[in-house]
Amino acid sequence: MSVSTAPETDREVTTRELISPDIPWELIVWNDPVNLMSYVSYVFQSYFGYSEAKAAKLMLQVHTEGKSAVAHGAKEKMEAHAAALHGYGLWATIQKGGPRG
Amino acid sequence: MARAFSAGRRGITGHLESAERDLLRKLFADIITMLEPDSPSHEDPLAALIGLDMDVSVPADPALLRLLPDAVKDDADASLEFRQLTERSLREGKIGALRAASLGLESDKLVLDDEAARHWAMALNDVRLVLAERLDIRSEEDAEKVHDVQDWDQAEDVDSYLSLVYNFVTWLQESLVQAMLSALARKD
Repeated sequence: MSVSTAPETDREVTTRELISPDIPWELIVWNDPVNLMSYVSYVFQSYFGYSEAKAAKLMLQVHTEGKSAVAHGAKEKMEAHAAALHGYGLWATIQKGGPRG
Repeated sequence: MARAFSAGRRGITGHLESAERDLLRKLFADIITMLEPDSPSHEDPLAALIGLDMDVSVPADPALLRLLPDAVKDDADASLEFRQLTERSLREGKIGALRAASLGLESDKLVLDDEAARHWAMALNDVRLVLAERLDIRSEEDAEKVHDVQDWDQAEDVDSYLSLVYNFVTWLQESLVQAMLSALARKD
């Protein structure tokens, strides 16, 4: 993080970094031919606390569309989720969130 | 032959034959060996305390990479930074689950509480991920082909043997997860 003597040109970057926690990030789970549909549903229910219906919907989206954004929020939070899902053996990545309604 | 898991009042119960327990013990031990870090020496005590590891690199073994995947797509630098912060604890967590599952193999009858069941499901999943990598399962069609190898009389080479092992572990995990889902539904 820059200090008060930072040159003028760094200011914009610094400002953006400071507000970056407010930019929503997404947690993406990718399809693979190994993880069982039941297991992915179980992880979505037990780890995120999602309802059976929501877990099933997200799981099917992963299965049929190849991926699904299963959580949104601050970068640090999405990183923690990604690490947890890797613990379960799911293939999860984080990315800056796109437009969402 | 193993009996399917079922959810009951005392938790999730299952039954494994002695040969099946030996096989699983061996598989769990293999994955633990894969996950144990190569060089835990010369580490900064503070870094170790907070789980930071600056020496990590992307695993060369694709099976290990499947267990410890990149967290940021198409961004090697960000993925490496994520590894430095999380890979050590990820390895430890996986090893912990595999060891816990392995300890549960001491008796032929398995009685699992929520946490033990979770460890078992994670351990079986990691075994399947590694076997799938060795069997080159890249698509649903590949998975189907492996699934078709069901008869132990077909075990004539390494691949058919690994396919049979994979199918057994898949069946076991499916049965366990179904029991875990019923247990979850019962709590709601």
